[in-house]
Amino acid sequence: MTAKLARLTLRLYPHAFRRRYGDEMRALLEQSPPGARGILDLMHGALAAHLHPPELAAASVDPGNRVRASAGGVLVCWVVFAAAGFAFYKTTEDAPFSAAGRAHLLLGAAHVAVQAAAVTASAVVVLGALPLIWAACRHARDEHRLRIVVAPILPLALFGCLTAILIALAGGRRAGQQGVTGLGSVAFTLWGLIGLACAIACAVGCRRALFATPLRPGRLLVALGSATFVSFAMMVIAAAVAAYAIALALDASRLSATANGPFQVLSTGASLAAQVIVMVVAAAIAVTVSRRGWRVAGRLGGV
Amino acid sequence: MLTSLADGPKHGYAITADVQELAGINLGPGTLYGALSRLEDRGLIEALPAEDRRRPYRLTSSGRTALEEQLRSLEAVATRGLRRLRAAEVSP
Repeated sequence: MTAKLARLTLRLYPHAFRRRYGDEMRALLEQSPPGARGILDLMHGALAAHLHPPELAAASVDPGNRVRASAGGVLVCWVVFAAAGFAFYKTTEDAPFSAAGRAHLLLGAAHVAVQAAAVTASAVVVLGALPLIWAACRHARDEHRLRIVVAPILPLALFGCLTAILIALAGGRRAGQQGVTGLGSVAFTLWGLIGLACAIACAVGCRRALFATPLRPGRLLVALGSATFVSFAMMVIAAAVAAYAIALALDASRLSATANGPFQVLSTGASLAAQVIVMVVAAAIAVTVSRRGWRVAGRLGGV
Repeated sequence: MLTSLADGPKHGYAITADVQELAGINLGPGTLYGALSRLEDRGLIEALPAEDRRRPYRLTSSGRTALEEQLRSLEAVATRGLRRLRAAEVSP
């Protein structure tokens, strides 16, 4: 069991590291299967390899693929970040929060900053992705490899169908009864989790399509530039949400202490704190990943 | 790890076993390959062609020099420390 887990843990290492040391690490793990401490040691090693990638191993990776990995990695981070952003939107959408935003300058300013940065970053994601989508579609058509474009679309289509069914069901129930029921909370939470899973599957599909599609250096640089912009926008949004959470606790402490969310388990303040943590982690990983792309961007001439 | 490679090339498993015997430290696989990659980056060790997936590593000339300097420095510290201990035992 631990041998299998150890082999899975190896997948946490950066691609370049696995290419360079993967075979011998697998041989070592087969010769002396690690215990729980060994698995933790592998996880720590994988994190260290991401934070401080070995130069020799990184130099052996094609710069085009490195940039693709950076752009794809930022996209996955953006999806996780957007899920936390959606939770922030749902947490603060009610009328008392709007009133508090109008009454307290910092609260209002932080909320506006979150919205402005989110809209701008979303636009940059779309603009950065459009040339890549176009190239992937052309490549899929020319090479008869429709799977490249179907894989990212399929999870979104499934989620769209699920959402339509839920809206239809909710409409039928609303006609019969009023108020949010426990069943409604369960359905909403499941919908959110399925949405997150579908979005991650879509992002992973996009990442695969990115690797399967030949791209000119210019397009890769545009993708990396967009990814970098989005990474910093994520930092700005995370800072604005943190400022909002602090301002809410100081200026509208009753609102901050009110139970919130589908099951009314967490207070608004605790929900916001959890959202800030997810956002900061996703943004930090995105910035690290895009920095790694820029390290090899100068060698993109031969792509 | 450099000391482990002082008497000739070794692959990962042999290094782990040797470090365990030399220093009583149980190197985890993540720590081992993290250290190997850093030592390779610094030019202190180099990889030899793989033998059945296992790649042996050996000291480079700068690795040998760095190890020698480090061991001499440790030797000097150990010698002075022991001398001081003995002097303290002799004096009342």
